[in-house]
Amino acid sequence: MPRRIVIQQSVMAADEKIAARIRKDLSQRGVLMLNLIGSPGAGKTALLESTLTGAPFRSVVLEGDVATSRDAERIARTGTPVVQINTRGGCHLEAHLVDKALEELELDGIDVVFIENVGNLVCPAEFDLGEDHKVAVCSVPEGPDKPLKYPHLFSQADAVLLTKVDLLEHLDFDRDLFWGDVRDLNSRAQMLEVSALRGEGVPEWIAVVERWIRGKRS
Amino acid sequence: MHELSLVSSVVGSLEELAMGKGWKRITKVTLKIGKMRQVIPEVMVFSFSVASRGTIMEGSELEILEVPVRSRCLSCGENWEGPTFLCPGCGGSEVETESGMEMDLESVEVEE
Repeated sequence: MPRRIVIQQSVMAADEKIAARIRKDLSQRGVLMLNLIGSPGAGKTALLESTLTGAPFRSVVLEGDVATSRDAERIARTGTPVVQINTRGGCHLEAHLVDKALEELELDGIDVVFIENVGNLVCPAEFDLGEDHKVAVCSVPEGPDKPLKYPHLFSQADAVLLTKVDLLEHLDFDRDLFWGDVRDLNSRAQMLEVSALRGEGVPEWIAVVERWIRGKRS
Repeated sequence: MHELSLVSSVVGSLEELAMGKGWKRITKVTLKIGKMRQVIPEVMVFSFSVASRGTIMEGSELEILEVPVRSRCLSCGENWEGPTFLCPGCGGSEVETESGMEMDLESVEVEE
């Protein structure tokens, strides 16, 4: 007769252990790590380009994509060290992939590790990478209903960035609906509107990152 | 899409456990999954049947216990079923998720 044995451990126990080790290691070094999550085309890479150009902190970037090193090439042009992670069909990054990529980077003297997750509003929100904060990135052309349609990400993010706000004048985007739903889901998140193209909102976003760096080191 | 990653992780952990404990076969695996986690039970079951091939749990049953989402207001203590929103009692926004985020390997049935 089979015997029932109670286990009660997380399904992702092995990967969570790696995430915990990454978090501890980065804490000891005083390095902040942010996990940027948003749809393909939400403007995550453009946001990073405008953040990294002239930012008062030193950064490295991990670029997650199913295929190509196009995003890493764009980041490299800003002079920031970058590692491309190709998941070859995988819809999200996992801690063991981040762990391996971090080994390729020199972290001495670095303030922030930006992770650009694979473009997807669902799976990336489920996996702990050892980051300090998840950042939800959603663009104006995606429509204002995304927070309620993908509540898991928006309720977990410590910052929600509405990108491509330069398009607001051309599209019928209900801003009050968008931010009202974000507030209902997660009133504690930082809420910012940015246009990487025009630079609007980028200084405010940089100020949030600086606050997080100071918070981590105090 | 990420169901295969999850069940692969379950199969890996159980193979390791089985080796240490000397289990001959695993006949049933029970997972406890909160409804806020974005997994589809049917896809988990199918992915598990693929990921467990060639292991001591090949052909075993995967049971999924779904846990409803419950939230609680930190201001007035009201609790309700559903995702974290404004408190239906006092309208407060300091709300926490009490259950619905589970993603646990609950138990197994083994032949020793």
